[in-house]
Amino acid sequence: MADFRKRRKSEESGEISMTPMIDVVFQLLIYFVLTIRPVDVFAHLDVFSPSAKPQESETPPPPMIKIEIFPGGVLINGSGVDMTGLAKILGQLGALNPKQTVMILCSIDSRHRELVEVLDLCARSKLTNISVGSMN
Amino acid sequence: MAKRSTEEVGVNMTPMIDIVFQLIIFFVVTVELDRQAFDETIVLARSPHGPTVEKRDPRTVYVEVHEDGTISIARNRLSEARLVTVLTQARIAGRQDTPVHIRAHQSTRHEFVRRAMQAAGKAGLYRVSFVALKEKAPSN
Repeated sequence: MADFRKRRKSEESGEISMTPMIDVVFQLLIYFVLTIRPVDVFAHLDVFSPSAKPQESETPPPPMIKIEIFPGGVLINGSGVDMTGLAKILGQLGALNPKQTVMILCSIDSRHRELVEVLDLCARSKLTNISVGSMN
Repeated sequence: MAKRSTEEVGVNMTPMIDIVFQLIIFFVVTVELDRQAFDETIVLARSPHGPTVEKRDPRTVYVEVHEDGTISIARNRLSEARLVTVLTQARIAGRQDTPVHIRAHQSTRHEFVRRAMQAAGKAGLYRVSFVALKEKAPSN
């Protein structure tokens, strides 16, 4: 009898206990707030890799920029420069003719970061005709 | 007046729950599901001036080169020979202009990146790009 009365009383109140739901919802909210990460914007640096097939007899224009990347140093057309110097030279060359070929040769022990830095400077100078090769 | 407001014990929870649900729906919808496809341990080099690609070619193959030189596609480690096979299959399934994007760790030796490039060349794929993070000011 006492049980019946109790049940009846809770039914009469007509309210659902919201507390566990709110707890779970807060847990979910905290999880998503903590795990969300802003989307990274990627840059795609296109290069031509040397192919085994000979290209159609389309000779590249004679002025060619040759950049050699060594661990901790860069040579442009045979002369050593630092990154700011390289940026300046590439800026001038890109302003002259953005279609000229840039050949980048990396030594095998250079870091990928250095190659990306040089490619970034080429992209900044609007030079798009880039080939990447390696040297031993 | 003040006495009356203290008498009201129950706070109306409905607007708060509404907002909380809105926030949850926002986060559930915006969470990126394909993010797991990329290995988070690869720290990309930064290229603030590099061009961004708005349209993604659905055929694009992402080759990941780790700092220690191991090569993987979608978190599966591959030997060089296997990589050539996979890329050749990609060329057969797509076309010769199937793009290959190389995601290499910034401190990887070029020797290892060259392996991935050579594998693409052997498979007959020549559209090679390097993926970099379009951000300024390197943090390290």
